[in-house]
Amino acid sequence: MTTQQTPQSRGDMLKRLREQHAATVERTQVLLREQKRVQQEICKVIRDTPKSVPEIAAAVNMPANEVLWYVASFKKYGLLVEKGMCADYPLYQKAEEKK
Amino acid sequence: MNNLKVDALVIGGGIAGMQAALDLGDQGFQVALVEREPSIGGKMITLSKVFPTLDCCSCITTPKMSAVAHHPNITLFTYCEVQSIQESGAGYGVAVLQKPRYVDVNKCTGCRQCEYECPITVPSTFDRGLGAYRAIRVPFSTAVPQKAVLDIDNCLLCGKCEKICPVEAVDFNQQPETFSIEATAILLATGFELTQLGAKKEYGGGKLPNVIDPLMMERFLAPTGPYGRVLRPGDGMEPTTIAYVQCAGSRDQTQGIEYCSRVCCMYAIKQAMLISGALPMAEITIYYMDIRTFGKGYEQFYQNAKAMGVEFVRGKVASIREDEKHNPIVKVELTEEGRIIERTHDMVILSLGMIPTASPSTFGLLPSSDGFISLPAINASPSATQRPGIFVTGAAGGPMDIVDSIVTAGAAASEASAYIRNKTGIGVAQREVAYA
Repeated sequence: MTTQQTPQSRGDMLKRLREQHAATVERTQVLLREQKRVQQEICKVIRDTPKSVPEIAAAVNMPANEVLWYVASFKKYGLLVEKGMCADYPLYQKAEEKK
Repeated sequence: MNNLKVDALVIGGGIAGMQAALDLGDQGFQVALVEREPSIGGKMITLSKVFPTLDCCSCITTPKMSAVAHHPNITLFTYCEVQSIQESGAGYGVAVLQKPRYVDVNKCTGCRQCEYECPITVPSTFDRGLGAYRAIRVPFSTAVPQKAVLDIDNCLLCGKCEKICPVEAVDFNQQPETFSIEATAILLATGFELTQLGAKKEYGGGKLPNVIDPLMMERFLAPTGPYGRVLRPGDGMEPTTIAYVQCAGSRDQTQGIEYCSRVCCMYAIKQAMLISGALPMAEITIYYMDIRTFGKGYEQFYQNAKAMGVEFVRGKVASIREDEKHNPIVKVELTEEGRIIERTHDMVILSLGMIPTASPSTFGLLPSSDGFISLPAINASPSATQRPGIFVTGAAGGPMDIVDSIVTAGAAASEASAYIRNKTGIGVAQREVAYA
């Protein structure tokens, strides 16, 4: 199933695929912009002080269930860490940048 | 891709399919296993623990996944779909579609550098949409094969994965490809799906964030779950009152599912016990019509749950709505007392019913009245279908638990073994027996 490609032909192929999947590329570009925006906003909120999901949701004006999905994603990929509990809610803080 | 000739083709790489393939492979038969997902493991690899022993699911499933992948008599095809089954010579000719992974599996080392580099995050089907993974990823931590797969429908086509891959495994040139497998016998292990969470409008129609399905709870209870702990998905709160609504998708004429799904009582009890361990202060209520604990050790398991403080309330849940804090409010008719009460919980799990994943007609078979594959001689030959040489194992034939799935895998392998020997005239003694 694999075909050896030269760098030039690989570039051409990606270009051709982008044309073939133009609608997908357009949709995912919008999705990427939105995900980056949300990531920046959430990271700003939890940069210095650990916050619960409802606190983050209130700060970024998003539904709490959507914020939780982002939090789960950031936790999985090492962007934030759990920092204790406040009542029944775990608190999350931005992870330290790896040097 | 070359066409393949085998003694047996197993369709479905869940616990039943894997066990059947191993049983046949160990007898010396050449087996092909076709799985539609990028990894084998099926539903079982997503579960936390099994009832009634509370053994870790991964600890049972992962060695079998590995054994299938490394077995000298088993050829594994993942990310493939069966297109058609035609009678051919002494057996069947099966057309199989290999979906493109856009990753060369012979080069990929499963290092996940592509996954960490990928900028697009999408809901993880492995975590029932509650967690996330990237557009290119290794499906889950114990996936077999441990190879990346690119989801072209969510790909930006930015090429970052291709640039970072240290072994140049990303291959955007891959195309869908069809190949054929000639098999004397076929074993269907296509498994089950749950009924839709939103099927019953009375139970919130799938729109209440803190009303979830039992496979979601399995992911919360699993060590590899999306939150790493039990939290309610509406707002990330650790729940203190949790309810199960039994028969929320089975024994229900309004949904056209009149049969009992057989496993719901036991998984609800199991999850209640696991939640008691994870959240010792939590109050857990199970609303039920009947508790059916038919298997070995199951009744004792139920009695243990009661002794641990799990509350069993006999009644029929009429509706579920939510308050302003998204706490589900359960309205239940207490059938023994003849009155209706309302109770508020932090989270509700609907014990949904089981329906077949694949339509029996896909394989030229008739469905029985429940929609699962018809088994015309269930007492005499419990795995045989109406097509000679096609056998059924696991939940493809009807709702069943893991214990029964493994038992039926052995039964189907045994029936298939006898059939192959009859058909080919070759005895097992003449074959090269694995692990001899």
